[in-house]
Amino acid sequence: MSNTKTQFKWFSIPEYDKEQEYLRQMHKSGWKLVRIGFPGVYHFEACQPEDVVYQLDYNQEGTEHKTEYVQMFTDCGWEFLFDFVGYSYFRKAVKDMNGEEEIFCDDASRLDMMKRVFRGRIVPLILIFIGIVWQLILQSMDFYGDRDPVRVFLLALFGVTFVLYSILFVQFAVQFYAYKKRMKSR
Amino acid sequence: MDAHIKKVYVPMTETGFYILLCLRTPNHGYGIVQTVKELTDSEIILSPGTMYGSLSKMEKDGLITFVREEDKRKIYQITELGEEVLNLELRRIKRLYQNAKEMTK
Repeated sequence: MSNTKTQFKWFSIPEYDKEQEYLRQMHKSGWKLVRIGFPGVYHFEACQPEDVVYQLDYNQEGTEHKTEYVQMFTDCGWEFLFDFVGYSYFRKAVKDMNGEEEIFCDDASRLDMMKRVFRGRIVPLILIFIGIVWQLILQSMDFYGDRDPVRVFLLALFGVTFVLYSILFVQFAVQFYAYKKRMKSR
Repeated sequence: MDAHIKKVYVPMTETGFYILLCLRTPNHGYGIVQTVKELTDSEIILSPGTMYGSLSKMEKDGLITFVREEDKRKIYQITELGEEVLNLELRRIKRLYQNAKEMTK
């Protein structure tokens, strides 16, 4: 039996909760995360099955002041794994915890994390998105006068990207407001 | 104290409160985590992500200040503005407590 395993998994930007759960389940079934390759290839190594909590942080200030940032997590018993596209990956075994622990202990800081993700990942996408919408308008304006296959292809491509981006933005907005609502109801 | 500080920090999160309370004597993030754990009989375990975020936000807003580095850990201390905010919060909590005591007599 091979003792390494790779899996392709796609998590969109706001889905780090799902990603954390996926990594925890993998570890529970005896596969611990070793590294992640672009664009979402997860490399695992066989290990003793154990309940280990995985957590993602997105903190540019932390990645700029790496040593003291990681030290804080290490002090609290979290193992730092690596950075991947701006996210820092941590894990801690449940047996070393007091009950259930996470790297954030209140909703205010969870919301701050979402805001950092928004500024770092979503804002640049919005700028590209505006460019795509602009192209869509330009390309479709004289579409009927010109059935050039290249143009049709481009239009389809921009159309598909437009839809994908829209889904992503809606997803992000929904999750963001769910967090906000949860905070207010406390 | 400007309106922004008041809006963000009064009332404040439990984490924010304990940070200011502990930093009346210089300490680092993990030191605060340990102190709070002892103070609350392990009921409140502050998390590193929350700690790191709160400390850098409070430093930027001038509530605490960086003193020195020790073994890769940043030591902070409360500022005058921080004391002011802490006192406001203490007064608010005292009032809460007093009112609760009277109402449940």
